Amino acid sequence: MKNLQNLLRDLELQRLEKQTRRHFMLDCVTKFGGLALAPLLFSCEQSGTSGSALEMKLSERDLNPLSPLPPPFLPKVKSVIYLHMAGSPSQLELFDYKPDLIKYDNKPCPESLLEGRKFAFIRGTPNLLGPQSKFSQHGESGAWVSDFLPHFSKLTDEVAFLKAVHTDQFNHGPAQLFMQTGSPRLGRPSLGSWVTYGLGTENQNLPGFVVLTSGGKTPDAGKSVWGGGFLPSVYQGVQCRSKGDPVLYLEDPKGISRNLKKSVISTINKINAEEFESYGDPEILARINQYEMAYKMQIEVPEVMNINDEPEPVHTLYGTQPGQESFANNCLLARKLVEKGVRFVQLYDWGWDSHGTDHDNALDLGFRNKCREIDRPISALLLDLKQRGLLDETLVVWGGEFGRTPMQENREGKRMGFKGRDHHVDAFTMWMAGGGIKKGISHGLTDDFGFSGIEGRVSVHDIHATILHLLGFDHEKFTYDFQGRPFRLTDVEGEIIKEILA
Amino acid sequence: MLFGISNLGYQLYPTMAKQRFLVFITFALAIGIFLSVYINRKDQVDFSTEVKPILNNNCISCHGGVKKNGEFSVLFEDEAFAPTKSGFPAIIPGDPKNSPLIQRLHETDPELRMPYGRAALTETEIKTLHKWIKQGAKWGKHWAYYPVQKPEVPLANLKAGNGTKNEKNYLGVDYFIQQKLEKNELGFSEQEEPLKLLRRVSMDITGLPPSENLKKQWESGALSYEALVDQLLDSPAYGEKWASWWLDLARYADTKGYERDVSRTMWPYRDWVIKAFNQDMAFDQFTVEQLAGDLLPNPSESQLIATAFHRNTMNNDEGGTEDEEFRVAAVLDRVGTTFEVWQSTTMACVQCHSHPYDPFKHEEFFQAAAFFNNTRDEDTHDEEPKLRFYEPEQKVQINTIKDWVAKNGSTNEVRKINDFLAFQEPKYQAHLAEDFVNGELIDTKWLGLWHNGSCYIKNVDTQGSDQLLLHYWADLDGTELTIRNGNPNGEILSQFTINKTEGRLTQSIPFKKVTGNINLYITAENPKARKQQATSTIEWLAFVNTLPGENQDGYLEIQNQFQALLNSKPLSLPIMIENPPYMRRETHVFERGNWLLNGEEVQANTPESLNTWNPDWPQNRLGLAYWLTDPENPLTSRTAVNRIWDQLFGRGLVNSIEDMGTQSDPPSHPELLDYLSWQLMHEFDWSVKKLIKAIVLSDTYKQKSQISPSLYQKDPDNKWYARGPRIRLSGEQIRDQALAVAGLLSPKMYGPAVMPFQPEGIWQSVYNGEKWTLSEGEDQYRRAIYTFLKRTSPYPSMMTFDAGSREVCISKRIVTNTPLQALVTLNDPVYMEAALFLGKKMKKMAKNDPSNAIAFGYEQCILIPITPTKKQSLLDLYEIALSNYKNDPEALEELISKDEKDRSPEFGAYVLVANALMNLDEFLTKP
Repeated sequence: MKNLQNLLRDLELQRLEKQTRRHFMLDCVTKFGGLALAPLLFSCEQSGTSGSALEMKLSERDLNPLSPLPPPFLPKVKSVIYLHMAGSPSQLELFDYKPDLIKYDNKPCPESLLEGRKFAFIRGTPNLLGPQSKFSQHGESGAWVSDFLPHFSKLTDEVAFLKAVHTDQFNHGPAQLFMQTGSPRLGRPSLGSWVTYGLGTENQNLPGFVVLTSGGKTPDAGKSVWGGGFLPSVYQGVQCRSKGDPVLYLEDPKGISRNLKKSVISTINKINAEEFESYGDPEILARINQYEMAYKMQIEVPEVMNINDEPEPVHTLYGTQPGQESFANNCLLARKLVEKGVRFVQLYDWGWDSHGTDHDNALDLGFRNKCREIDRPISALLLDLKQRGLLDETLVVWGGEFGRTPMQENREGKRMGFKGRDHHVDAFTMWMAGGGIKKGISHGLTDDFGFSGIEGRVSVHDIHATILHLLGFDHEKFTYDFQGRPFRLTDVEGEIIKEILA
Repeated sequence: MLFGISNLGYQLYPTMAKQRFLVFITFALAIGIFLSVYINRKDQVDFSTEVKPILNNNCISCHGGVKKNGEFSVLFEDEAFAPTKSGFPAIIPGDPKNSPLIQRLHETDPELRMPYGRAALTETEIKTLHKWIKQGAKWGKHWAYYPVQKPEVPLANLKAGNGTKNEKNYLGVDYFIQQKLEKNELGFSEQEEPLKLLRRVSMDITGLPPSENLKKQWESGALSYEALVDQLLDSPAYGEKWASWWLDLARYADTKGYERDVSRTMWPYRDWVIKAFNQDMAFDQFTVEQLAGDLLPNPSESQLIATAFHRNTMNNDEGGTEDEEFRVAAVLDRVGTTFEVWQSTTMACVQCHSHPYDPFKHEEFFQAAAFFNNTRDEDTHDEEPKLRFYEPEQKVQINTIKDWVAKNGSTNEVRKINDFLAFQEPKYQAHLAEDFVNGELIDTKWLGLWHNGSCYIKNVDTQGSDQLLLHYWADLDGTELTIRNGNPNGEILSQFTINKTEGRLTQSIPFKKVTGNINLYITAENPKARKQQATSTIEWLAFVNTLPGENQDGYLEIQNQFQALLNSKPLSLPIMIENPPYMRRETHVFERGNWLLNGEEVQANTPESLNTWNPDWPQNRLGLAYWLTDPENPLTSRTAVNRIWDQLFGRGLVNSIEDMGTQSDPPSHPELLDYLSWQLMHEFDWSVKKLIKAIVLSDTYKQKSQISPSLYQKDPDNKWYARGPRIRLSGEQIRDQALAVAGLLSPKMYGPAVMPFQPEGIWQSVYNGEKWTLSEGEDQYRRAIYTFLKRTSPYPSMMTFDAGSREVCISKRIVTNTPLQALVTLNDPVYMEAALFLGKKMKKMAKNDPSNAIAFGYEQCILIPITPTKKQSLLDLYEIALSNYKNDPEALEELISKDEKDRSPEFGAYVLVANALMNLDEFLTKP
């Protein structure tokens, strides 16, 4: 790990060099773009049927709905990186150490735990399943982490664990929606959309809410998990891809050079400016602005999304391989994006649904590989953010949509060929790190089998309330009017988890 | 009082003098009455507009639907006047001083003063409440819950437009608009230039720019504006344009939604909507057929297709999900959608508790749900019931079978056979199986028994049938299946062998006649089966009778045809079919909205605060549809008018399009809303085309859309309509328009959804092997409404322009502005191809002068002649591009594909200009 930290220092210089080049390019653009918009915005002398935008008293948001806004309260963080492990990793193999499960491994689960309970696949009386990994305590905080996460276990003193999170949805689709939109049914805005709606974004050349997926699939609930719901669609997440165009339609068509594109856009905006002169519709100003931003986005997005030119030490640090769609690449991108002022970066990694139906989703096989895939990148991300002084102003959240049962899955009453666990709603682990978060603590406790939370239980709404609080919102007052009533991310619930706040 | 006057008149009648006196008296009295009514009226506090807003803003969040602090609520009349926790009512009509409601507003102790913990009410607000109680505290209804009355048209001299007043009968709109304009010290703008008006009305009615021919007719003056509008309304493109509005409400998509999100066949419903609009089906009929077409007497195929409206709900195939949970979710969605689509009413909150603001009670939600809780669909993988579209020769066979049954059996048997062939109901789904021993519900979907396995299917009514139809597939030969009555020792009802099948099979098996509700005990034996191997996979069971006429010649052939038809796999569409009485489900209130916590049972009924139920209506979906389209229903016509107005003007007369409840925005023009609603019902006989015509023929619609700064200051949102509507086009319109001006747009209508170009790697659903396969030929260039819509991954460029994923009902797309939109029209290969074809047309028109080509291209896109400065800007671009491509032949080769004969630098430059044209604000916006 020390090795990783050394690597970081070497990177700093190269980063600064690059920034200079980028600024030069953007300056050129702003100058040419400004040609069209500036006189319309700032010359008050013009009169006639149509007037200048100043006379219309337009707000910044009229021209650009993503322009930054200060939150109502002093925020602890500026941006969020949310790492969602779609499919839901087992807390019992990673963070929630239960020696009793070793003792009762392969013994029938007590009926008292099963009474009146429903599971997705477990039927009848399943057997308990001991942890498939080895646990030990780490750091000053003495946090229990298993040997499936050797790198991350060295960073536990940066992190606040939530050991008794619970949800009420035990199927992936609804549970992911609940975790990301506060409702298991469709139609609500995602967390990232709420945040971008409330705060806009710092860097207008990049989308404000970026989504990166890995594992070969989008989450079970589809793109609705980053949808804007009833909010204007401009606040929905923009999926950036590590293969193909990083943002859809970002690349200029073949045969149109950057210079030609610049001429095209400047012609469009010149004519649009004339159009504004005759119609006086401020929407036209917004359109002019939109085309300037699109041009700048075409420069900045590929640059930030390109990891080819990152120095070798960075690739070693994260375990990145340019050109692939991987969680490691996405972690590096997440750091680059928040560094450039992106408000909300959401990572989805698919493939954590360890039922034990085959090799890939067996806890001691496929699951272990998945852990390897995320261990180094996540640790690198935390270190890298810290090194750059970004961890104080960024919130990193890690979790799935629910947890896994202490019992081994016995799908439809069958004995399974591999070791796996079913979906579990009563208790699972998530963690947060970054600005405003207490370092090296663990909040919440589960019973001896890790079945239910017995102390410090927190709900999905509580997590949302806490995230909004760190960004400077009172989750009860942050509302959007729709269908004749104010809607909240946290509906009518949610309490800030004060125990993990610094 | 009136009685008094006539009495008086009778007595005084005899003499002339007295008569004169009478005239005087009558006159004086009339004035007196008028004055007193007038003053009284002016002085009378109006509950709905004055009192209710104060209560809603200050009291209702603690004294309303969810919370009833101090056991006091101002949501319903009976609650507001009932004794509170103190034992006394809070409002004493006529006695404000002693009404605790008023007293508590004046309290100085912050623990007692209301609103608790919030700012005190203003003097005026308290005065209003005081006065209202003094005047008797008359409760009233929210304006939108009163039936539509015909308002007087405020006739006046119209100052609109340029005096083109030849379209009689369509003037109403302008009078109402002018009245409000004057109140707000505004006036109409002049009429829009003819060509801009042509483009506006054409985009609004057909979603496409006008044809060359129509433009010529219009420019020559051969066509009146009314005739132009009529022509546009008659065009088949009208149905396609307005269907895309309706499909947002209907949440139409080509996939099931949820995790696996696999394809489903829904397009016959989409085509039904397009046809219904084009035939101008009356909106009440349109409503009845979609909500309850299956319950009409002898429903036609088209009426059954219409019911797919409510089969657009999502269907969950995710492993481990319980079908019943998602059947219930679909039912609740149908309630919410029905009330949003026809009533502008949000029922979602009422699912868990009484509505916090609107007068709808918790149990009323479930009474409404009871209308929808008795259909056959059960969130099964196959999405039954489905309407089967047979081939013509199969239809002949069906008729032969029906004739046979009619000859040898009863009409009831004919109906049963007909229904079973049409949609294979009623049947029992495999997911009803329970109490498995050595068996499982495979993937929580299908019945699979292992060797020596057993299970129950409970509460089955075979209607005394003598045939079991079993739908299954099997990988093994020789499975013995036994079905017993009630228990392992029960009477054997059927025993048979199942052999290996080629795919799914529907097999007729003799079954012992039994009556009443029984439990089926099913066992399977097959020693050849491996451990935990399903001996067969059963999807459903149905019970039918042997075809009649067993002894007649040709019986065997009829029976074989029947079997063959059952096993054929025609195209089929999910539809609504009502449960037969013996399969009826009870509907219960869900405690706190949780489907597992059943409360009291409820019967189908409509909310009390809306129009009354006519006892002649059947107590089912059909009755509900009649209730919605009854002229006494206050919300259906207002909702339709408001949304159609919104489609044309970009905002509704009630701006909160999705909601007309007590918290909605007050209507800007309440009388106009009622006037058009009245007309829609009583003058236009629910004709949507006539309504659209009435609006677009108004001078209000035809105004110029320019905005002066002072006008912008006074009315930035154009809610008083002192200018014409200028709105960005929808995603569908922008794409269709680009293809149209490029000459690429295919006029082909209807049929399966198409897959035009989409970048690689967009579809990544889990457990779903389906792929986006580029359509061939003209199918790449169909109108956007035919583009395949996958819910978890909709067509990306349309999403960027604010189209939704159609997972839930959307009554308004919020128009947004993001750089990603510019990237679509600048870079998406679909738009580049359109630019290429437009560039080709332009080059043809150049005749050695690029300015000809540019003027032509601009007119193709925007319709009006180009201004000299714009032409110069585009010429400059042309020159830059030309020299660029002359110097860079490689770039040119990349720009223009090898298939093109002409790969000249000039062509390249025109393509670039065309690309710029299709990105102009004017192109993306309705003028």
